[in-house]
Amino acid sequence: MIGSAASNLLDPAVLFFVLGAGIGLLRSNLEIPSALARFLTLYLLIALGLKGGAALSTGGLPAEGILAIGAAMGMATFVPAYAFYLLSRRIDPFDSAAIAATYGSVSAVTFITAQQFLTARDVDFGGYMTVAMVLMETPAIIMAVFLATMVRSRQAVAKAASAPEYDEAFEPLSTREVLREALTDGAQLVLIGSLVIGYLAGTEGKEELLPFTSGIFKGMLAFFLLEMGLLVGRQISEGRAKLDKALFAFSFLSPPVNAAIALVLAYMIGLQVGDAVLLAILASSASYIVVPAVVRYAIPEARPGVYFTMALGLTFPFNILIGIPLYFAAAEYVWP
Amino acid sequence: MREIENKKLLTIIAPGELQRMVVEQLKKRGIGGYTVVAASGAGTSGLRSGMLVSDSSVILYVIMSEERLREVLVDMDQFMSRGYRVKAFYQDISILPRKEAKPKSGEAVTD
Repeated sequence: MIGSAASNLLDPAVLFFVLGAGIGLLRSNLEIPSALARFLTLYLLIALGLKGGAALSTGGLPAEGILAIGAAMGMATFVPAYAFYLLSRRIDPFDSAAIAATYGSVSAVTFITAQQFLTARDVDFGGYMTVAMVLMETPAIIMAVFLATMVRSRQAVAKAASAPEYDEAFEPLSTREVLREALTDGAQLVLIGSLVIGYLAGTEGKEELLPFTSGIFKGMLAFFLLEMGLLVGRQISEGRAKLDKALFAFSFLSPPVNAAIALVLAYMIGLQVGDAVLLAILASSASYIVVPAVVRYAIPEARPGVYFTMALGLTFPFNILIGIPLYFAAAEYVWP
Repeated sequence: MREIENKKLLTIIAPGELQRMVVEQLKKRGIGGYTVVAASGAGTSGLRSGMLVSDSSVILYVIMSEERLREVLVDMDQFMSRGYRVKAFYQDISILPRKEAKPKSGEAVTD
């Protein structure tokens, strides 16, 4: 475990993340143009989708893949449910619903970094895990919107007398509108589209795109992690005062707990070790791009300074630095 | 020269994710013209670095009449009542209109 963690920390991409975080914490004047940062996000999603699609076209969708996707969907429903149940007893219910959605969903960059970690150790995994990642995005959002609507209804009944009267031109948000927002998210569409293109292009297309999807991939990931480290460092130095101890504990404890549940589930359904580690990563990571963007729209009562800081400032670095080697070591220990 | 008109310039600062919602609400009030500028900064919601889609702000500029401004401000107030983190402020401006005012009957059109 210690050897695995140490070798992970010496990975250039992870070292760039640490460098970025250090620069951010020092409040240095380093700036990465936002257009470049967004380009890198799109590049990583396209490369991830193409590779996943190509793997699916050669390997197909075996029974193991269907089981893995089912397990992923199960985790995407279970995690927000228990997170909301636990958190709403201590903190604002809208914040609880937003955190539940964030942690029920996934971080694509953590997933990509974990794939790199496994590839460097010659551990195989299925292309269907990318499909699982795509599918895990939505259930948590739907559940969080449902929970927030429930909380809103309760509060509306309590405050009925003092509720503001809405202007006729101002219609309340419908669940359909929220779902449209979630399902038409640009990053999500690019990822799904790339997955389909990768599948249709098959092995020939994969060979043609190798310099794009593999040759420069590690360097681009390192650059992106430098940017993410910078963002994390600045988020921590700006936002740490807003989180209480319970939220700090949740940010660091829920990832290994979720990963442990996912590993048990993976073992029970007979997944191979690479798929099991990726399932653990999906279950333990928190979304800081797609879900916060949708939650800001669908649950405006929740404080972004809480759920965004937790997902990006605490859980993301935990998984990148400690989580990935920890879950891998646990899987290696259990799997024959 | 065209005649200078007195108008209101409404400035709305909003998270990038809410841009579509704000614009759709403006359209309901009959406003189709606006200018958007990407922005970054910090506030009670934390840091908005502009590096991620979920971490960006926008500034919308809209020029309109006073009557329409009041309707839009009511909408912004409703947004804020629901918890949306938007800021709105306006100022009086004098504008050289793109379209010339139609000449009154009997009035000569000059270059």
